[in-house]
Amino acid sequence: MSETKTNGALRHTVLGIDTGGTFTDVTVLDADTGRIWAAKTSTTPADPSRGFIDGAIEGLKAAGAEPESVTRVLHGTTVATNMILEGKGAAAGLITTLGFRHVLEIGRQDIPRRENMFAWIKPRRPVTPNRIFEVAGRLGPDGAETKPLDEAAVRGAARALRAAGVNAIAICFMHSYADAGHERRAAALVREEHPEALVSISSDVLPVFREYERSMATILNVYVMPVISAYVGQLETRLVEARIRAPLLLMKSSGGVAGTETIRRAPVETALSGPAAGTVGMAFVGAAAGFGDLIGVDIGGTSADISLIKDGRPSVTVNGRVGDWPLSLPMVDIVTIGAGGGSIARVSRAGALSVGPQSAGADPGPCCYRRGGVEPTVTDAHLMLGHLPPWLLDGSFELDVEASRRAIITRIAEPLGIYPMAAARGILAIVDSHMVGAIRVVSIERGRDPRDFVLVPFGGAGPLHGGALARLLDIRTQLVPPSPGVLSALGLLVSNLKADFARTCLQQQGRFDIAQMARVFGSLQLDAENWFERENVPQAARRSSWHASLRYEHQGFELTVEWPGNSVDEASVAEVVRRFHALHQTLYTFAQEDTPVEIVTLRVDAVGALPQPKLSELPPSVDPREAIVARQAIHLGTGTVEAPIYERARLGAGAEIAGPAILTQLDATTLLLPGQRAEVHRTGSLIVRE
Amino acid sequence: MNDVGHVAAEVTCDPVTLEIVRGALRAAQGEMEALIERTAMSPFIREKKDFFAALFDGKGKLVVGSNLPAFGDIVAPITEFYPLASMQAGDLYWYNDCYQSKGAVSHTPDQVFVAPVFAEGELVAFAHSWAHFNDVGGLRPGSLSPDCVDIFQEGIMVPPVRLMRDGVFNEETLRIFYRNSRFPEMIKGDTRAAVAAVRLGERRLGELFERFGKGRMVDALRQLIERSEKTMRERLRALVNPGEYRFTDMIDSDGQGNGPIRMRYKLTVDADRIVLDCSDSDDQTPGPVNFLMAPQVPSTVFGLYLLGGDPEHLLNDGAVRVIDEVILRPGSILQPRFPAPLGLRGVTLMRNVAACLGLINVATGGQAPAAHAAYVIWYLRGLKADGSLFLMSDGIGVGYGARPTADGIDAVYLVAQENYPAEFLDSVYPVRLLRYAINPDTGGPGRWRGGCGIVREVEVLAPEAVVSVRIDGVENPPWGVAGGKSGGPGRVVLNPGRADERLIPPISDGTVVKHGDVIRLETGGGGGWGHPFDRESERVLEDVLGGFVSREAALLDYGVVLDSEGRAVDDAATRERRRRRPPAKMFHRKEYAELLT
Repeated sequence: MSETKTNGALRHTVLGIDTGGTFTDVTVLDADTGRIWAAKTSTTPADPSRGFIDGAIEGLKAAGAEPESVTRVLHGTTVATNMILEGKGAAAGLITTLGFRHVLEIGRQDIPRRENMFAWIKPRRPVTPNRIFEVAGRLGPDGAETKPLDEAAVRGAARALRAAGVNAIAICFMHSYADAGHERRAAALVREEHPEALVSISSDVLPVFREYERSMATILNVYVMPVISAYVGQLETRLVEARIRAPLLLMKSSGGVAGTETIRRAPVETALSGPAAGTVGMAFVGAAAGFGDLIGVDIGGTSADISLIKDGRPSVTVNGRVGDWPLSLPMVDIVTIGAGGGSIARVSRAGALSVGPQSAGADPGPCCYRRGGVEPTVTDAHLMLGHLPPWLLDGSFELDVEASRRAIITRIAEPLGIYPMAAARGILAIVDSHMVGAIRVVSIERGRDPRDFVLVPFGGAGPLHGGALARLLDIRTQLVPPSPGVLSALGLLVSNLKADFARTCLQQQGRFDIAQMARVFGSLQLDAENWFERENVPQAARRSSWHASLRYEHQGFELTVEWPGNSVDEASVAEVVRRFHALHQTLYTFAQEDTPVEIVTLRVDAVGALPQPKLSELPPSVDPREAIVARQAIHLGTGTVEAPIYERARLGAGAEIAGPAILTQLDATTLLLPGQRAEVHRTGSLIVRE
Repeated sequence: MNDVGHVAAEVTCDPVTLEIVRGALRAAQGEMEALIERTAMSPFIREKKDFFAALFDGKGKLVVGSNLPAFGDIVAPITEFYPLASMQAGDLYWYNDCYQSKGAVSHTPDQVFVAPVFAEGELVAFAHSWAHFNDVGGLRPGSLSPDCVDIFQEGIMVPPVRLMRDGVFNEETLRIFYRNSRFPEMIKGDTRAAVAAVRLGERRLGELFERFGKGRMVDALRQLIERSEKTMRERLRALVNPGEYRFTDMIDSDGQGNGPIRMRYKLTVDADRIVLDCSDSDDQTPGPVNFLMAPQVPSTVFGLYLLGGDPEHLLNDGAVRVIDEVILRPGSILQPRFPAPLGLRGVTLMRNVAACLGLINVATGGQAPAAHAAYVIWYLRGLKADGSLFLMSDGIGVGYGARPTADGIDAVYLVAQENYPAEFLDSVYPVRLLRYAINPDTGGPGRWRGGCGIVREVEVLAPEAVVSVRIDGVENPPWGVAGGKSGGPGRVVLNPGRADERLIPPISDGTVVKHGDVIRLETGGGGGWGHPFDRESERVLEDVLGGFVSREAALLDYGVVLDSEGRAVDDAATRERRRRRPPAKMFHRKEYAELLT
C-alpha cells in the first residue's frame, strides 16, 4: 500500500470499477473524508481491461487523486456472464466416471415446464461429448472406494485432450462430494501429462450431491477459466502500468469480493458479479438512511434485476441459474426479467399488446434517440407522457418527442383503437406489471410481505418506475440512491471479502450424528481459516457463520437456515430443526412437525471485513425552488398537470419536494407522482413517502 | 357467450388489463407449481415432477393449463355430486376416480384437488392441482402393474368428495386414504403439498378479482379462451385443406399377451366442422394399457402443435374447441368399459399423441414432427438389508421425433418431468447405477435425426428384488416421416455380457433379481424427418464423435464415409456413396410406406 500527499494531506482512496454492457462506471472514495466521485467511460468489449483502466484514470482525475493513493481496487465484471450466456467460453474437456459420459447431454431429462414439446430445442452444452472421457474407478455414496481409479485411463484422457488442444479440463466423479481422493489424484495426473492445462475438480467447486448440477458447475468453471485468468492478469498489468499498486478484488455472485488468486481458481463465482454489486450498494445506502428491509429494482435498457434485503443482508440462493444452466453455488437471489427502458411494445395479429422481452438496446435505441428506431419503447412512452424532460444527460442530447408520439400512435393506439395517451400508459402499465410479478417472486413467494419493505429503484430507468411500482405493491416508502445509475460501482467500494464452503452430510432425525456433523463443520471451518490466511484477513476482521440445509424426510428440496453459533450439540441441532419448521411454515404456508427432518448440506460462510467508508453528508438545504430548472406538462390518467423539473445536485439535506415533480441528474431521472413527497436525506438519498 | 353470465355484457376488459391479467394468471400457476415441487414427498413428484397446476373460470372451463395432453374436464365430475350452487368459499374437492370422472383423470395414482373461488359472493373461478402419488394401494407397490386385470387392483378409488369445508380437512376421509397406502407418510406429505398449492391458487385468483373487479376479470377469462380458440382455428384452417385424412398407429402389447393394438383415426375437415373419429380403433384389452381418453385430449395435442413456441396464447379451453367433435367407441382401447384396468395408459396416451401428429403429417404432406417413443417407467421392489420395504419407481427418457426444421430432442421424459440423479438413487435405494448414457443409433435417421433414447444400467445391491417394466415401441418403433426412418426400439437385458444374460419382456412384472445382478434398460428413439442422405455430413460426423450414431450407421443409413480413424468425413467417398440414394416414401416404420395403416 502506498500513500501520497496532495495539498499537504495524506490521502487514502479506494477505486470501484463496474464494467457493464455499454458503460464502465467508476467510483472513487476518499477513505478519510468519505467523499465519493463518479465517472463513466465506454466499455471496450474487445479488451475490457482497456475500459477498466481508462475508467480508473478518469475516476482518479475526477477525484484529483494520485494513483499511488489507491489502497484497494474493487471490480465488478460481466466477462464470465457474457461468456456463458453467449456460449463463447474455452474449448473445455471433462473427465468423468465410466458409464457417465452423457450426464451433461441428458441433463435432468426434462423438457422445461413452460416449453412446448413439439417446438423446444435442447440447448447446446458448453462441452461437446467428444471432449468427455470416461475412466474407471468408483466411490459409494459414503465416499468409500468400491473400485480403484484407473490411472492409466486418466493419463490417456489427458494426453488425448492435450492432442486436441484442449487446455481447460474439468474432473467430476460420481460421489466425489463424499471424498475428493480420486478427483485430486486424477488432477495431479492430468497436470503431469498436460502441464499447460487449467484443471478444476468438482469436489473443489461444488462438493454437493446431484451429478448433473455438480458437473455443470465444474464445467462452467473451466469454461470461463482461461479467459478470466488472462483477464485478471491483464488487469494487474494495467494497474501496475498506471502506477496503481493496490490489491485487486473481484465481486462474486454471492455479494462478497475475493482476491485474484481465489478468482483464478473459481472464476465461475463471478457469474453474477455485476448485479451482486448493485445489491451490496443498495444495502449500504439503505443502512446509511436507517433502512434494513429493502426490495431493489435495478432497471437498465434491456432488463430489470430484482432482489431483496432483509435485516441488511441480501437473500442468497443455491438454486440459481445462468442462462440455460443451473448454477448451484451460493449467489445473491436476483430475479432478472426482460423489461427495461428499451423494451419494445408490439400489437400482435390477434390484437394482444405486449412489451419486451425484445429490446431496442442502445442501438438503434428508442425512437426518440434519433438513431433509426421505429418501434415504440418504454422510454418513448415515458417521453410522450412527459415523465422525462426532452433531453438526456446534462442537456447535451436532445430527444425527439414527435418520433415517440408517432410510433405509439401508428403502432399501438391505432391497431388497438385506443387513445394515444392510453396507449402510452398501457405500455408502462404492462412493463410495471412484469416488474411487480418479479418483485412478488422475491418477496411473496419467499414468504415476505412487500409492504414491510422499502422500495429502492435504481439503474438509469429505475426511479422513473419507482412511484408506480410502490403504488401497485402498496409500499409506502421508496429510497432513491444518490446516484441511482452507478449504484453497483458504489456497492464495490463498500463490499467485504467473502467465501463459502459447503459439503453434503446426510443426517436423519432420530439418528443425528453430532460428532460427524462437528467433524464436517470443523473441516469446513479449517477451509475458511486457510482462506482467511490466503486473503491476508487480519484476525479482528474474520467472521464466519454456519448454515445447514434441511428437508423433511422424502422431500427433495432443501431450505437453508443459519446455525446458532459455531458449535454442534443437542441444543444447537434442536434449534436448527425448529428454525427449519418455522421457515417451511413461512415459505410454504404449512409445517410438518410430525415428520422426521433430514440435514443435507452444511456450509460455512466466511467474511473478511474491509474498512467501511462513511458517506460525506450534504449541506443543509436552502430553498428547493432554486433547484427548479424548467417546467413541463405531465399526462396522468386523471388529467394533465404542470410539474417542475428540479436539478437534483442543487438540493441540500432536508429539502422537501411534493409531487408531481421531475428530478434530473446525470445518471437517472426520478418521477414523483402527485401525492408522493420526497425528502433529501443527509446521505444524499431521496426518501419518497406516500 | 351468454353462458358466462350477465356481468360479462356490462364490463369489458381492455387489452392492457388483459395482458396484465394473463401475466398474473401465469405467475399464480407458477407459484402453485413451485410450492408442490418444493414440499411434496413422493419421489414421483419431487424428483420426477409429475404434477401440474391449472386455473379455470366459474363454469369450469380451462383458462391456464399445462402443456401436457393428458387431461379432460376436471370440474364437471365434481358438480355431479356437488352442484355449483352448493359450493362455498373454503371448500376443497378431491378425486382420482377415472371412470366416475369420465377420464378427467386417467389412472388412480393421479390425485385431483379443486377449490372454488368466490368474488362478491359469486363463484367465479376454480384453482386446481394434480400430482402422481407414490402408492395408493392395489395389487403391487406403486399401484401400477402390467399384471392388473381390473381397476380394483390399481389402488383405492376416490370419487369426487369434499375434502374441506370452511378450510377444515375432513380427516376421516384422509384416514381411510392413508390407510390404503404402503407409504402413508409420503402420501400424507403429498396431500398437504397439493392442497396448500390449491389454497394458494384460490387466494391469488381472489386477489386478482378484487384488484380488477369481478366483471372485468370474468371478461378477461372469457377473452383469453376466445383468443386461443380464434387463433388455433385460423391456424388449423390455414394448414389443413378440406378433406378426409386417415392414420393408424399402434402399441405393441397389453403386457398380457395381446397385441398389437391399433388406433385408427380419421379426421374430416369440411367447410364448417372438424371431426376426429377414433371409433374404428381396436377393442379394449385385458391388460392395463387401456386409455380412458377424454375427448379434450386429442384436441389438446392439435392445440399444442398449433401453438408451437408462441408465448402469446394459452393452452386452454379455446384450444380444446379447435376440433368440433371427437368420436370415441365405448369398449375400445380409447374408451374402455368399467372396470377395465388403466394403470399403464401412458403408452397409449403417448401413442395417441403420435397418431394425431400422423394425421397432421398426412394432411400437410409432412409438416409435423415424426413419432416419439413413449417414456419408460420401471419399478424395483423388495426388502432392504434391514427388512424394510423399498419401492424404486424410475422414469427414463426417450427420443422425440425429428421436426421439419430441427432434430428430435434426445433423452427426455416429458414436459417438466425430471430424472432421479444417479447419486440420489445410489444413496436412497439398494442399487448402484453403472451407466447412464445416450443409446446410440436409436434416433431415426433423417435429414433431421430423431432423438436418441437412454441406456440405464443398474446393479442390484438388495438381497432380492422384483422388476416391473414397461417399454412400448419394441415391435412397432416410432415412425419417421417425409423420408425419415423409424427410431430404434428399446429393450431390457438382465446381466448383459454374462453367461446368464437374458431379455426381460418389455411389458412385464415379476422378474426376480438377486444381489449382484445387473439390469440394463435401453429406451427407444424418435423417428427421423426427411431423407437421411440429405443430412449434412458434418452433423453426421458430430453425431458419431458424440456417441449418438455409430460409424456403421453413418455409412449404411446416412451414406457418410469416415476416414480410417473415424475422426473426419471422407468427402469424395461420401459423394460417391450418396449418388446411390435409396428411394423413400412418406412414412417409415422398419420399411417405407406411403401410409401407415
